Amino acid sequence: MPSPDRPDRPTAPPASDAAVRYRARHRTRYDYGEDVPVSHHLVHLATRSHPRQRCRRSLLTVSPAPAVRWDFKDYFGNPVSYVAVQEPHGWLDVASDLEIEVRPPPFAATETPPWNELRPLARALAGADEATAIGQFVFDSALVKTTLDLADYAKPSFPADRPIGEALIDLNRRINKDFAFDPTATTVSTPLAEVLAKRRGVCQDFAHLFIGCLRALGLPGRYVSGYLRTLPPPGRPRLVGADVSHAWVSAWCGGNRWLDLCPTNGRLVDADFITIAWGRDFDDVSPVRGVIFGGSHQKLLVEVDVEVITP
Amino acid sequence: MLPASFSFPSSDKISAKKALPDPDDVSHPTDDAAAHPEPDAGYSGAYDRSISPYDEMVTGQKRMRPHWKQFLSSLGPIHPDRMVERWEGARRLLRQNGVTYNIYGDPQGIERPWPLDLIPLLITGDEWSRIEAGVIQRAQLLNALLSDLYGPQTLIRSGRLPASLIYADPSFRRPCHGLPVPGGRYLHFYAVDLARGGDGRWWVLGDRTNTPSGAGYALENRSVVGQVLSETYRYCQVERLNPFFIAFREALSALAPGPGAPRVVLLTPGPYTETYFEHAYLARHLGITLVEGEDLAVRDRRVFLKTLSGLEPVNVILRRLDDDFCDPLELRADSSLGVAGLLQAVRAGNVVVANALGSGLMESMSYKSFLPTLCRHVLGEELQLPSLASWWCGQEAELAFVLDRLDHLVIKGANRDVVLDPIFGADLSATEKDKLRQRLRQRPWDYVGQEQITLSTAPVWQEQGLQAHHVVLRVFVAATASGYTVMPGGLTRVAPEPGRLVVSMHSGGGSKDTWVMPSERHQEPINFRASNARTDQRPIEPKAGEIRPMAGDLPSRVADGLFWLGRYAERCDGAVRLLRGTSTRLIEGDVPGASDELGALLRLLVWGGMIPAELGSGEASTREILPALRAAIFDPDHPTSLRANVQRVYRAAHSVRDRLSRDMWRVMVQIDRGSHLPEGAPEGVAVLEPLDEMVTSLSALFGLEQESMTRGPGWRFLTMGRRLERASRMVGMMRGLQVADVLWADEDRQDATLEVMLELAESFMTYRARYFATLQRSPVLHLLLVEPENPRSLAFQLTLLRDRLAELAEGTQRRAPTHNPTATALRIVEAGLTSLAQPELVRNPILLRTALDTLAATLPEVSNHLAHAFFSHAFARSA
Repeated sequence: MPSPDRPDRPTAPPASDAAVRYRARHRTRYDYGEDVPVSHHLVHLATRSHPRQRCRRSLLTVSPAPAVRWDFKDYFGNPVSYVAVQEPHGWLDVASDLEIEVRPPPFAATETPPWNELRPLARALAGADEATAIGQFVFDSALVKTTLDLADYAKPSFPADRPIGEALIDLNRRINKDFAFDPTATTVSTPLAEVLAKRRGVCQDFAHLFIGCLRALGLPGRYVSGYLRTLPPPGRPRLVGADVSHAWVSAWCGGNRWLDLCPTNGRLVDADFITIAWGRDFDDVSPVRGVIFGGSHQKLLVEVDVEVITP
Repeated sequence: MLPASFSFPSSDKISAKKALPDPDDVSHPTDDAAAHPEPDAGYSGAYDRSISPYDEMVTGQKRMRPHWKQFLSSLGPIHPDRMVERWEGARRLLRQNGVTYNIYGDPQGIERPWPLDLIPLLITGDEWSRIEAGVIQRAQLLNALLSDLYGPQTLIRSGRLPASLIYADPSFRRPCHGLPVPGGRYLHFYAVDLARGGDGRWWVLGDRTNTPSGAGYALENRSVVGQVLSETYRYCQVERLNPFFIAFREALSALAPGPGAPRVVLLTPGPYTETYFEHAYLARHLGITLVEGEDLAVRDRRVFLKTLSGLEPVNVILRRLDDDFCDPLELRADSSLGVAGLLQAVRAGNVVVANALGSGLMESMSYKSFLPTLCRHVLGEELQLPSLASWWCGQEAELAFVLDRLDHLVIKGANRDVVLDPIFGADLSATEKDKLRQRLRQRPWDYVGQEQITLSTAPVWQEQGLQAHHVVLRVFVAATASGYTVMPGGLTRVAPEPGRLVVSMHSGGGSKDTWVMPSERHQEPINFRASNARTDQRPIEPKAGEIRPMAGDLPSRVADGLFWLGRYAERCDGAVRLLRGTSTRLIEGDVPGASDELGALLRLLVWGGMIPAELGSGEASTREILPALRAAIFDPDHPTSLRANVQRVYRAAHSVRDRLSRDMWRVMVQIDRGSHLPEGAPEGVAVLEPLDEMVTSLSALFGLEQESMTRGPGWRFLTMGRRLERASRMVGMMRGLQVADVLWADEDRQDATLEVMLELAESFMTYRARYFATLQRSPVLHLLLVEPENPRSLAFQLTLLRDRLAELAEGTQRRAPTHNPTATALRIVEAGLTSLAQPELVRNPILLRTALDTLAATLPEVSNHLAHAFFSHAFARSA
């Protein structure tokens, strides 16, 4: 719920030995080609705290200096900033600098209830808070509309009574195998049906596809935006999407347990992944969303750098 | 922004409700209708009231209801001719007032005339009190639901509403949750569609909570019917509508947060919206500024109106824009109709939006079945107005019920995002039913099953008499100082033909005025009743100290529109005179000198791109010229034709419609109609008559501009547009006729050229009066270029232009002085005047040619500088 006045209150327990500490820097620069008189932006760049993650420091810098900055929480509980530059400006620089502690997933995927037992629960959640946290992620959203094709694609991973964790890992593996990572194949507005038909796309498409499969089966799925560590741990390959904003999926496993999976890299989300925000799809959590007046040949530059730091 | 359309099965399929006895029959149980034919002046002779179980005028025992008797008796004896006359009167009023309704994708053009039937729907005061109480209760209930769902959500917490109800519904706008709403008032203006069932009770068909439309049309219907049936209107003591609008206007002003005089605006999606007429009409009637999204700007989390004199604060927005389109930053990113940052201004409590953003949620059909229980819980009362029984399939038991009873139900979309024409289960084959069941099982939350209802019928005037058509009544409610208030009347919509149950403006239906008549039992004081229908259409008087949409409020976009209206209208005037001059000479070919003049005129037409070049050679025959001339007049696809220019005038006028007086609009409609090729016109259609009429209409327009527009910035821009265009035209004419060559070198063509110049500049009389009959080069040039007292002369245009620009420059000095486009424009015009002041100008062809060429190059710059200074619209786009 939006509550602009309350400061971030970390809910995560103190970091254990398994925790990894990061410094993450994200810079978005717009060049407008000519001066624009005013720009309004909504920025989803501060990390939200959750059971696996704690934000130790968060700094957002916008230049030219905005006339207005207003921090609040969106409907999903993510921190958002509204910034408005009201003097003529030819470029805009939005930079965030974070220090975060992340821990690996708390439970084993095999120790989860059968997926078909969760399905009737998800839609019928009675309490407002549970419904806000879980139930709302069952239904269509602007960018993820369920279809029979999506259900058909998902079904082989979901035989009756399979523990949902196992089913999710299987679907994650299949999407990773069946779909080619291809930044030229899609744009932000490519519909899901086209991604499914072409079998190509980027992390955002794969996350939407995964969520579409879950919802087509009546299961809740969240879209997570975040970062990957830039350099892998020794002996591990560099991850796809390491120097840009990344996206993956969070699936409900009963109670208040959620399992995060990254279909782009075909693996479970662990301490290599830093969560920024979650929502129903990209539209709810796009890192920087703005409206400008005027401008001609707009250019955009995005840089993400995530380094491990020693405390 | 689609209006509701209602479709219902024909009455014989209805699972008959247990009909209560009709009170109008019960009250005369012993009368024998057949034995005592009633004095209805013959109106109901051939009236077939049998298509619905309930007819508004005639009871089941064929008895005329008392209030209809009163109405018909005052209408006078039936006389089709007299009715046709009245009908024509009404149609003329509607046409002249420009009452229209836009239909998307309509091949006949963007606007349709508003269809109005003269016979009002009559409702007795007693019955109305019941409707009123029920509608107010419903407004309170829906408001309470909105304030819970966009706030603490206790109804979901306590399980009284399933959470999936909001989450499966795209009309639940997450960014609007928790926005501050002063006084918890979400609904400021609310409309409900009612239909009378076979049992005689009024049933709710649907709720309009987002941007309810129709109240303005109802007001216009009243003003027309009240005038055409003025005696009957007075006799029936119909309740007036205006007090309702006055109360609403006051309530809107009172919403303004903070101190100071409030500025209220009506936010419209623009002229291409179907109900734009109403937006302009209501803004004018309520005395508030009509704005489009691009007229507003958010700075420092406050909303401002972009005016010629800078940004002016806005405190209250009455919106006719759907909530999802209101802010591209936080709602639909692809909306170009909204105001970026609006939600931030609302969140900061700096502006009040009515209805509150997110209110559209209560239009969803999925909520209807919960209302009776919620009414008991929330208000502690029984729901007074029954809604049709409905079942939202998002719940298991309800889905099972609907699947089981498809035959008896209508299936509808649960919310506005589900695109679905109502499906009547009974009409489906077994396979179709199976398909539908499958569909329902797949996305159950998208559907509701609803009971079917019949609609009552009311008399509609058709050709020779009255005919029973199905009707639906839209009733309007406003939040005022004394709580919710109902407009005493409403918008009645009529099915296009008897038996048709689809009632909507889209499907060609009509509308009616709605009269609430006093009941004998509860007669209200007479002074509250109408004495004159015209008082109902008079705009609301401002209270002392209240802000009115004054000159300073002129949005830049409107200044732009008026400027171009002036230019295009003047351009039409030029085209008409040229075309008329040519046509006259073509037809009177044997008049001495005519052929030389015709040659000059044809060269001008070629020069202006109005006819093909080969027709200007002097060799072309009348038979070749006439078709080209007709195209230059009537062809809308010809870019420089008169018709194309009239369309530009009309569009410019349309975009600033709320700034034009009714009279101006009437003239505008005339101009538009006058340039249509008459339907089924033969090849040799007379072109002179329409051209003459056009000259008259344009003169009327310019006369109104001169005589009845306040000398504010709006007028200033209109008149600058005209003067600039007229100046350019004079320069263009002189260059097109090559006066600097022809008048000195070519003696043969001199007389004809001078004659044409004087005629096109409408200065013949002036010349005659001054210089007698001889046409001489220097005096003619002097009269048309330099003479300060000739309102057609170039100097006259430039002088006026200079004066207006000087006034504007004065007002804009506080802008950056180094780069002041107004000052630049002013310098151009002054330079032009200086060149005209050269004493040898009219005697020296070289001086003349240079002056004309310079003006032709610099005058268009004036327009560009003005655009840069005042209208440069920076369009919002997503970054």
